[in-house]
Amino acid sequence: MKIETKGKSRFAGKTTGVLSFVDMKKPGNKVIYWAMFVLMVTVALVCVLPPLYILISSFKTTRELMQIPIQIFPEEWSIDKFVKIWNNLDFGTYYLNTFKIIIGSILFSILSNGLAGYVISCLKPRGSALYATLILWTMLLPSTLSFVASFQNMVDMPITHWNLTNTYWPMWFSSGANAFQILLYKNFFDSIPRALVEAATLDGAGKAKIFTKIILPLSVPIISVDAIFTMTGCWGDFMFPYLILTDNKKKTVMLAIYNMSIGQKYSIDEQLVGIVFSIVPPIILFFFLQKYIMGGLTLGGVKE
Amino acid sequence: MNAWVFLIPSVFLLLLMVWEPLVSTTRMSFYETRGFDTVEFIGLENYKNVVTNSGFLKTLKNTALYVFWSLVIGYLFPYVVAVMVNEMVHAKSAFRFFCYFPVMVPGMAASLMWKFLFEPGENGILNAIRVFLGFEPSQWLQNPDLVIPLIVITMTWRGFGGTMLIYLASLQGISQELYEAASIDGAGFFQKIRYIQFPEMKSLLLLMLIRQIIGVFQVMQEPLAMTAGGPNNASMTLMLNSYNYAFTYFQVGRAMAVGTITFLILVVFTVIYQVVSRKVEE
Repeated sequence: MKIETKGKSRFAGKTTGVLSFVDMKKPGNKVIYWAMFVLMVTVALVCVLPPLYILISSFKTTRELMQIPIQIFPEEWSIDKFVKIWNNLDFGTYYLNTFKIIIGSILFSILSNGLAGYVISCLKPRGSALYATLILWTMLLPSTLSFVASFQNMVDMPITHWNLTNTYWPMWFSSGANAFQILLYKNFFDSIPRALVEAATLDGAGKAKIFTKIILPLSVPIISVDAIFTMTGCWGDFMFPYLILTDNKKKTVMLAIYNMSIGQKYSIDEQLVGIVFSIVPPIILFFFLQKYIMGGLTLGGVKE
Repeated sequence: MNAWVFLIPSVFLLLLMVWEPLVSTTRMSFYETRGFDTVEFIGLENYKNVVTNSGFLKTLKNTALYVFWSLVIGYLFPYVVAVMVNEMVHAKSAFRFFCYFPVMVPGMAASLMWKFLFEPGENGILNAIRVFLGFEPSQWLQNPDLVIPLIVITMTWRGFGGTMLIYLASLQGISQELYEAASIDGAGFFQKIRYIQFPEMKSLLLLMLIRQIIGVFQVMQEPLAMTAGGPNNASMTLMLNSYNYAFTYFQVGRAMAVGTITFLILVVFTVIYQVVSRKVEE
């Protein structure tokens, strides 16, 4: 579409919304449009200013944070404090631990949810339709309500009686038991044209070959979406790791900042730096992968 | 090779993490427990004990209040924002980006961030703004009447971007010809929103309504991080109550009873959701 360069011509490129290019020529509609624009700027500010203020405040000393009237900006912009707190509190370990959970979780999600979606959608063995219905119900049922019992299974696994506290297996397991992801994969595989598979079968390709040569290369987008979702999910996960990981050497970033917030051991400026450490990685991820992240959401958001 | 082999990981993990725990929650709610071991079948004793506890009704009411406020504050908001973003020509993708930005802030970090902003002293930023505008400083989360709406505001802040994108995707699927036809008939902006756009969105709005009720009913982490259920249990929720039974008082049977009660309430909504979503697909 060509966009003219003169005057208010940007509206010529308007392809969505109630107001069309022609409508925008009426002054009344212009007022409505710009009123909405101002409202949207306000909304955007409300979204960004709180974390931004936290970032600015994390540079302040405890004295500056306590002083009345408050100063918006710190007296000194020094990152020495960040380095010091990073080292003192051993945030490197917390980051590493969280990454271990993320890597394992992505593998578990692909191998468990991905394969399940593939079987339900493409292979369809006898009885798999029933399994698909079961998955749908599992997703709809509020299963977080049984977190105490899930925790119990991790402390004392059925049959084997393993105690998985202070290991990362429980978090990996729960990433592999995600009904929502199974349906996401299923919907994706449903959209692969059957003709592709049939043609390959006619050419004499076996099931394994079809999987590695056709299905897998086509699955790169859905696996990326799964990986990104699992990554951000695991990074922010709190309740389950909080119950499982009691050893300080094993804890994640979220547990670290929660522990800093309770009790009197850490000063407010240290807590703020901790919060900043926990927010920065997902935000960086968002800057680079925003298309995937916002696109992936609507991929599975409406259709269930 | 039978295709069921590939389902083994999924069946095993769902059994271990979801299905068995659901059954076990119900089963253990009928038992006296010591630690995580069942001692003796005691019928409805746990339920009786939990329900007659002086705090239970208040907790149930609180949880309903969370849902109520989340509907008042956060239900139409993402829809209205989506409608506005859909109209934008200028900075449209920037608005999408900014609205989704809070979703990327981890839940725990967002709660602790807001706890800092809601600092009740005059050194808190929000109180500084109030004083600047000529108001008295507020107690914020320390005020039992304000605590639930405030926690709901922080939840809305973090969550609306995701819902907004779902609405936006649906809005973009509406054919422009419908609007053009209405324009020719002389319909103005608000008339087109009301009579053309809204009917197209009605079923999705209903679906999201039930989804939100189910989601907010399970609220636990936000009050845990921001108020620990206080002041004086004013922000206590059913799930946080269940957590406390299990991990503060070590009465697992009672924790399971609270879990089961909450589950039963939500199953009703889940069935409604199923019926509605089927109708929507037709």
